[in-house]
Amino acid sequence: MKNEKIEKKYAPEIQPKEIEELRNTIKTSSEKIIAENIERMKKADPNRPQAMKYFDEISNLFGQRQEELSAEKAKGKKIVGYMCLFAPTELILAADAIPVRVNSGWYDTTKIGDRVVPVEVCPVIRSTIGAQMIGLSPFLELSDALISVLTCDGMTKMGEILSDYKPIWEMNIPRVKDAAHSLRFWDDEILNMKKQLEAFTGNKITRKSLKAAIEQSQKATRVFRRLQDLRKGNPIIMGRDAMLVNQSYLWDDKERWTQKATALCDELEKRAERKDWVCPTDTPRVLVTGTPMFWPDSWKVPNLVEEANPKGIIVADELCSGERILNDPVGVDEWTMDDMLNAIGERYLMASTCPCFTSSDGNEDRINWLLNKVKESNVQGVIYYVTRGCMLYAMEYTRIKKALDKINIPMYYLDTEYTREDVGQMKTRVEAFLEMLTARVDI
Amino acid sequence: MALEYIGDILRLTVLGGLGAAGILTVLIWKRNLATKVTYLRFVAQAVAFAALFYVFTLSIPLLYFFIFVFAITIVLGRLYCGWLCPFGFIMDLEIMFRKAFGIRYRSLPERLNKILHKSRYVIAAIFLALPIYLWILNPPQNINFAVAMARLLAGPFRPYTVLIDPMIPAIVPWTTSAVNVAHVNFTYPYVQDVIFWAGKNLGPALALAFIGVTLVGSFFFRRLWCRFCPTGASLAVVNRFKGFRWAPLLHIEKDEEKCTKCGVCKRVCQAQVAEVYEQKGGKIATSMCMLCLRCAEMCPYAEALKLKFGNKTVFKSRNWLEPSTTE
Repeated sequence: MKNEKIEKKYAPEIQPKEIEELRNTIKTSSEKIIAENIERMKKADPNRPQAMKYFDEISNLFGQRQEELSAEKAKGKKIVGYMCLFAPTELILAADAIPVRVNSGWYDTTKIGDRVVPVEVCPVIRSTIGAQMIGLSPFLELSDALISVLTCDGMTKMGEILSDYKPIWEMNIPRVKDAAHSLRFWDDEILNMKKQLEAFTGNKITRKSLKAAIEQSQKATRVFRRLQDLRKGNPIIMGRDAMLVNQSYLWDDKERWTQKATALCDELEKRAERKDWVCPTDTPRVLVTGTPMFWPDSWKVPNLVEEANPKGIIVADELCSGERILNDPVGVDEWTMDDMLNAIGERYLMASTCPCFTSSDGNEDRINWLLNKVKESNVQGVIYYVTRGCMLYAMEYTRIKKALDKINIPMYYLDTEYTREDVGQMKTRVEAFLEMLTARVDI
Repeated sequence: MALEYIGDILRLTVLGGLGAAGILTVLIWKRNLATKVTYLRFVAQAVAFAALFYVFTLSIPLLYFFIFVFAITIVLGRLYCGWLCPFGFIMDLEIMFRKAFGIRYRSLPERLNKILHKSRYVIAAIFLALPIYLWILNPPQNINFAVAMARLLAGPFRPYTVLIDPMIPAIVPWTTSAVNVAHVNFTYPYVQDVIFWAGKNLGPALALAFIGVTLVGSFFFRRLWCRFCPTGASLAVVNRFKGFRWAPLLHIEKDEEKCTKCGVCKRVCQAQVAEVYEQKGGKIATSMCMLCLRCAEMCPYAEALKLKFGNKTVFKSRNWLEPSTTE
């Protein structure tokens, strides 16, 4: 490892023995948690779709997918990790590399991350740093380079900290997206990323390969939208299952994911014909928004909502670990290289409803998109999930509360940490909110 | 006489039938929702091209075309420009030609585009004022209607017809065309007027320059001429008055809540109309819009953009990733 010779700017010295120990303990407990989560999901819906079997397998982070990626890497394929959804995955695919999102959802690694950054920092960041320090996350370990997009404060600095371990490519994103010069700037970043990827992988991104990559991700978006449309009606699939399907796109093989998700949609459509709903149709319909929830440990809130008494069902989410992954297609007008690159740039910058953008009209895109979702999915209550230290989401809360008040949709601010200690207390809070929603339904 | 009329009706019916057949073929065949409307438009343009060529062989005064185009523009917006205009068809063919070479279009800077947009009024005003000036210089002796009609086609009223020049197909059966090769007369919009004004010496040179600028220009810039074509100006003038808020009946409407401002509509617009992207919902009544529907076709959010006739929705944006199953 050539990185070891370089002096580390952030990372503290940890004895290899300690690293080994920590990794083994956390890995064992994490494997248990993954199995437990899946077990709970199966229990919540005894009649789970057959097609979910594949997603259960792929969701084992230390299982099949890790081996596949190692095999691909041994063949000489590069793996490019990314930490924000703004990383242009189409370009990575076109350069014949494998894109993997590496944000971590492990609760235990936050404590290791605390050795580098203080506890005030967003736990997603601390956890990811911790996972890198002990080499826990297989995707982080396998990726040859990381794309870091400077969106929120945590992400901005995390790239710098992780540069102790891996080559980092930073993409500077404009915070005001409603100006022509912002888009020009971002287009330059995209072009730069293309060059960097070409130099790194040694594969030229051609018109053909980029077109194929765009068409591939369009296909994935198509299936994704089909799944979301199915969720808009009576509850046909548990929210957690759908969220897992969506999130597994981040690390799965894109083509295989599309096939398997299509199979799932086919199965669900048949069930809808039979009117085979997963839970009573008057179950309160909940939308989750806020800080991203990463598999496996951050599955706390979805688990609580769908196992609470009274039970709720998550019918939609507005998370960057959920529906924002695939919601927008790349719309290409003329299939020339420049137009494709511009289309990619626009899809990532303009279509995104990330709260890192600001505008004088109060980030209206996100509000509108949220209101649209609430209306389309017939949502009865919104859970605003914020981890401590997640500034952007926390600060937008009041604005969204006001907007939702106007259409008489209750919203609950659920603040938490990357910890299991508050599960009991949170259960009470979630149940109270769901109780209130049920009462509203009765009226 | 009667036989001739029947013949005319028959020929036009055959053309209409061809158009309907073409449209049906596209509707049934074309599965890709992202290009379906574009193909429909191509069929409509091709048929209109042939129809106009034929209509121009009939002895109908140009004035009627003039009134017809302006009337439908006020009611329907610039539907004529996007779907029927032969000059627009030529420019769209150029776009296809350019695409075949894999060359990308250039875009005008937004400011310049807006200046061009405003300059249409100046161009239209000059064309409208000129005949009056010529009338004063050389007052007509006879105010007989037939003579006045004749004068609209030639003489001091000739400049009026410049407003409908884009309607004139590339090949016309008239003898007074720009180029005559083996008894086939080639012409080009506005060229006759340029020759008419500039005289025999300067005329052809100016005409060639105009052809060059518009042909080469609209090869690189999509639909360059349409940005200052005076025909579109009529709608804009009418819209300024309060009583005409209903105009145009056919228009694009935007639902802001369904929009994430992804900017596709702005990029794919041939006339670089920014209003569809910038305006916060509601009726988009810009006279730059030629209703080619490319924005509504490419908008990835269902029902965010709609084409409306009055209150009735004619066409709406949909998830174009789905291949069409119903048609």
